[in-house]
Amino acid sequence: MTRLHPFTLLALAAALVALAWLLPAPWGAAGTLAVAAVLALFSGAGLTPGASPGSTGTGMSPGWRPGLVVLRTAVVTAAPFWLFLFILHDVPTTVALGLRITTMVASVVWLVAVLAPARLVEAMVAAGWRAGTAYLFAATLSAVPVLKARAQRIVEAQRCRGLSPRGGLGPRVRALRALALPLILSALHEVDERALALESRGLVPGARRTPLAPPPDRGAERAVRWALVALCVAALVWRLA
Amino acid sequence: MTRLSLEHVSFWYPATDTPALADVSLEVAGGEVVALVGAVGAGASTLLLVAADLAPRVVGGRLEGAVDFRGRGNGEGGRGIVLPTPWTQVSGMAFTVWDEVAFGPANLGWPREQITRHVDRALARLEIAALRDREPATLSGGELQRVIIAGILAMDPALVLFDEPTAELDPAGARMLWRLVRSLAAEGKAVIVATNDLDALPDVADRVVWLEQGRAKKIGPPALLAEDALCAAGLGTAVAVVWRAGGLPRPYPLTVDDAVRLWRHR
Repeated sequence: MTRLHPFTLLALAAALVALAWLLPAPWGAAGTLAVAAVLALFSGAGLTPGASPGSTGTGMSPGWRPGLVVLRTAVVTAAPFWLFLFILHDVPTTVALGLRITTMVASVVWLVAVLAPARLVEAMVAAGWRAGTAYLFAATLSAVPVLKARAQRIVEAQRCRGLSPRGGLGPRVRALRALALPLILSALHEVDERALALESRGLVPGARRTPLAPPPDRGAERAVRWALVALCVAALVWRLA
Repeated sequence: MTRLSLEHVSFWYPATDTPALADVSLEVAGGEVVALVGAVGAGASTLLLVAADLAPRVVGGRLEGAVDFRGRGNGEGGRGIVLPTPWTQVSGMAFTVWDEVAFGPANLGWPREQITRHVDRALARLEIAALRDREPATLSGGELQRVIIAGILAMDPALVLFDEPTAELDPAGARMLWRLVRSLAAEGKAVIVATNDLDALPDVADRVVWLEQGRAKKIGPPALLAEDALCAAGLGTAVAVVWRAGGLPRPYPLTVDDAVRLWRHR
């Protein structure tokens, strides 16, 4: 799956989200969620350690495990939405909105797991996008795994200083406070450093980057992308009719 | 040929009243290595950012005075800066070390063959050709530092600015780096380096700039590092500082060889 062209992966995720909201609930959203779940389960196929910098698949063993981790991440991320929906709405609305939101979350988590930011940059630059714009897209995709890795390092550092993130609610809240501040401050500091580094390495406004290894864009994949667009338009027309 | 000229340059970071650089004037020619020495906060890193045209353009703040660079902006024939923290300079967009080094040249829009030639040469110069297929995230700090330096050199800048380039390197790596600095100067590039590796400077630097509280307190040959004032400020070479601490008479020796010579002639 990671060998698919980045635009195909983006189109799949976008189409799933669009269809989840266009098709009638709950069955339409349940269908898109089922597709998203299957994609998430298969997200480990072809994924090698480090193939997707910072992705949830890095360092995992091959097989089902990466897919299960992606699926679990999606479920854990979507769970609070279900809670709030249940508090605010009746059961049918909760199910309808919950399935749609979970489809969105699962699609994005799957996308982050399978789409290597470097490949996206190469594909966008090859398609004529400016390097700065491509980098902005790719950096957004890689932000969550990068922050996760940084948070893990801070937790380990705090553990070395005797602060345990385990135990009752009190210790966990204290640990969260000790994590949040350094995480935010270091992220802000790194933004400055990274801006300087990127400038010094030629990533300036208007830069026309040379694609080093643009991913192959096969005719079949282009056809699939157009088919997805057509499917979304058809669903929209059907719903408006 | 003068590559960089600073005339009465002062610089203030955003929301500060005290200048980080105060009335600094300096000229650096092609083929010259200029070393910036000073205590923490003396202004060496700021001077490099100003010379690289990153302050105030990217950093913000206010600049007074004139900065004149004779080159072609950033990249090829332009300015390249190696910042002190390699892990924040990784593009995050590379699968391999080769891709990481090629990140800058690719951003310059060079043809693929030119990128390949420059990247391969930079990898060889930094003695990291064996790492070319490794993922950058798996590298040690020293290896990553070499990769970042290779990434800047692959862009073929005419002015190279190093901020504490040996901080992540082991002694062998530091020696390699200093040899590289001299070879860059031999090619006609202008090099400015901010470093605390004072013992390396007699063999590397053509001139030394002593910065204190943002001012260029003294500019001169590397022999400056054996002067009493610099030794008193903790900025002398180890040999000079030990000689002075031992109460031995001036002039203080700059290197071990100088010390041996002086000792034999006592």
